[in-house]
Amino acid sequence: MHIPDNYLSPATCGTLVLAVAPVWTVAVIKVKAQVKAKRETLPMLGIAASLAFLIMMFNLPIPGGTTAHAVGGTLLAVLIGPWAAVLALTVTLLLQALLFGDGGILAFGANALNMAVIMPMVGYACYRLVQKWRHPKIGLFVGAYLGINVAALVAGIELGLQPLLAHTASGAPLYCPYGLNVTVPAMLAAHLLVAGWVEAIFTILVYQFVAKVAPTNLYTPTPTQSRRPWAYLLGGLVLLSPLGLLASNTAWGEWSPAELKQRLVAQHLSQQGPQGMVRGLHFKALFQDYTIGNLPISVGYILSAVTAVLIFLLLMRGLQHDTQTTK
Amino acid sequence: MTLKQPNKLPDWLEQPNQLSSQRQRHNFLAHNQQHLQQLLARLSQPLPAVQSKKWQLSPAMSLVRLGILVLLIALTNNTGWLWLLGLLIAGHLLLLSPSQFRRFCRSWLMSTVIALLIVLPSYWLVGSATVLLFGFKTGLILASTQYYRLTTTFQALLSGLKALHCPNILIMTLAIAITYLRMLGHYLLQTMQALDMRLVAPAKHPYRLIGTLFGNLFLKSQAYALELYAAMEARGFNGHYVNQPTTTNRWHDVLTLTPYLVLVTLFIFGRYYGIN
Amino acid sequence: MALIKLTALSYDYPNTRGLDQLNLEINSGDFVCLMGPNGSGKSTLLRILSGLENASQGDYHFDGQAITADYLANPQDRQRLHQQIGLVFQNTDVQLFNTSVAEEVAFGPRQLGLSDAEVAQRVTDCLDLTHSSDLRERVPYQLSGGEKKRVALASVLALNPKVLLLDEPLNGLTIAAQQQMLTLLQALRAAGKTIVMASHNFKQVQAIEPRFVIFNVAHQIQADLSAAELAAQPEQQAELLTL
Repeated sequence: MHIPDNYLSPATCGTLVLAVAPVWTVAVIKVKAQVKAKRETLPMLGIAASLAFLIMMFNLPIPGGTTAHAVGGTLLAVLIGPWAAVLALTVTLLLQALLFGDGGILAFGANALNMAVIMPMVGYACYRLVQKWRHPKIGLFVGAYLGINVAALVAGIELGLQPLLAHTASGAPLYCPYGLNVTVPAMLAAHLLVAGWVEAIFTILVYQFVAKVAPTNLYTPTPTQSRRPWAYLLGGLVLLSPLGLLASNTAWGEWSPAELKQRLVAQHLSQQGPQGMVRGLHFKALFQDYTIGNLPISVGYILSAVTAVLIFLLLMRGLQHDTQTTK
Repeated sequence: MTLKQPNKLPDWLEQPNQLSSQRQRHNFLAHNQQHLQQLLARLSQPLPAVQSKKWQLSPAMSLVRLGILVLLIALTNNTGWLWLLGLLIAGHLLLLSPSQFRRFCRSWLMSTVIALLIVLPSYWLVGSATVLLFGFKTGLILASTQYYRLTTTFQALLSGLKALHCPNILIMTLAIAITYLRMLGHYLLQTMQALDMRLVAPAKHPYRLIGTLFGNLFLKSQAYALELYAAMEARGFNGHYVNQPTTTNRWHDVLTLTPYLVLVTLFIFGRYYGIN
Repeated sequence: MALIKLTALSYDYPNTRGLDQLNLEINSGDFVCLMGPNGSGKSTLLRILSGLENASQGDYHFDGQAITADYLANPQDRQRLHQQIGLVFQNTDVQLFNTSVAEEVAFGPRQLGLSDAEVAQRVTDCLDLTHSSDLRERVPYQLSGGEKKRVALASVLALNPKVLLLDEPLNGLTIAAQQQMLTLLQALRAAGKTIVMASHNFKQVQAIEPRFVIFNVAHQIQADLSAAELAAQPEQQAELLTL
């Protein structure tokens, strides 16, 4: 899932770094508090970064004779705490980009957002939510699966938006040449079908081992968890969202739903994509039982955005309830 | 507990084993061992800096140069510009020793071909001009990052970041990560070998083995963290990462960066005059 | 015919030499003790004998079969070799990866396709032989260094290998436990097993009269003596005592 350089426009890269910056800030604040309780957390950040590096380079056998690799975002979040995992994974990605050529240098912000923030956070939120119903393993499994898939979805969107955001006067894309109709289904198919399962199985097996051999070594959230960082984070993201304006080479603000539809359709048609793909192949994957495929594409996009926001709010809700009961 | 007389071994141990052999489809352990050995070899041999001692760019400046170069390549879509930048990179490549240049070519060609393979299908969508431009740009970016990796040691990267005023905590964490990548990698390799020694038949549940491998690795990394923290405290750790004084000349730095700065200026102001 | 035969075998690490021109024959039933200064190549030799590393130059024959990189690359052949050779690592941490000691010992025999009863029998026997029956349900990760050594030996014994390679098996053991370990090794030798161990503890090892293969700092074999021959060379003995 490492996005290489030149697939994202420099403007997008810059915007995404700015978007991740507040998360890093919150993570540093939260980890500082964690260090007070557990002093070895400080060196553990670096060691966990190298652990994540090894996880990402380990080839796991998958049926069919090929291999895949896990990312370990959710696993690390559960083992050393979500905020420490954000920092550790960031360091891993930095090392990979600078010294090993995995993932681009300019695209570092995008990769960090996908793999160091979204993946551990979504996974951990799932884990905590289901843990309260006394099924931590199910939560972890679902969390690991969802975490990597949400990250892949976001990566697909980042890539797929490039032809819209950066193109020449004649419409030729300057960076990633594929539109959303290609990138999102491609990323989702690979991760929903293979990488997600690999990640989930890997995560659950390592967790099971640690939980059995040394249960006290697992990360336990401090009971008096304040909700303030979450509020900062959300607020920061909301404040930062207009930065999207900067990211586009065209007038982003003028995109009414109708115009968005026009743009998307124009984009897709110019690429001569099959009609079925234009109608949103990836929605079918998400909403198999609904006849959403017949809806206009703009409605589909809005629906999926609302769904994503709702899922996020529901996960937040679960976490809030937890802090109230433990107080 | 009943202690058996040691000179009375159980019968099965007195007789030789029946050797069995079963067909095996995949050998993920051997594959990963090879992979890991390559990584460890690379980590234990920091590549020698190739530039001459007289004309060594400070680590911070080479990092800045890399940033400027990658940004310029990514921003421009003018083939003339790209040509110029390509010449600049080629000039740098002349400084490499023949063996290093061969190594550069191998890995650069490999990574560029992989990048191109992904983009190639878009030929039918957007035409050859776009694909060519994309391939050219990607190749140039990969060349500049590959050149940086080939000429920079881990230590130089850290002091470069330090000179660019990165937070101490980040540099310390990076330093720990690089050091322990080697130690944990070595531990993982040994665990895999130990597993290999006792894996006398194809594993029925390879994933369970992988779970225990990495579960053990995590516990080991925690043990390392505890030890490291104790060692840090014992040595009076105060949160500052001290870097070695660099022995480079500022004048050299500025001189080496000049072509890049000229390019950046041209790039920014060139727009008004239609050069870009 | 010798069970293990090394001919002009050398091994190179990326920057340094690991073993230099070794010629060595070990017969079935031999008890060999490798001695020498730190870094002289004892562990490297054990790793080559066990098939974990390939020689850079020279030949290694096991039971008449040349052990080459190609041979080891074939998973079936590799497993065949590992069924006959067991290795107890110097750092036993890396060798114990299961969730309980009993599971640890059962790991090997279970793959050999033995019945559950046979596996259980082997676990009980091996734990008894290594005086570790009381550790049966413990988690290997939480054992002490000496306990780990014993469990590691038990888990290798359970595979009933023809050749037993031990890298510093006496390190971290109490004097009493060292005696127990050596008594067990003697019994295994009496049962016809071939044993090659690397050790620093000359005094303890001398008591069971093995054949001594002594390395020098140049990674070469300096001397290859039976216990009786060594007894006749006081200077050599004095040198070994300083290791």
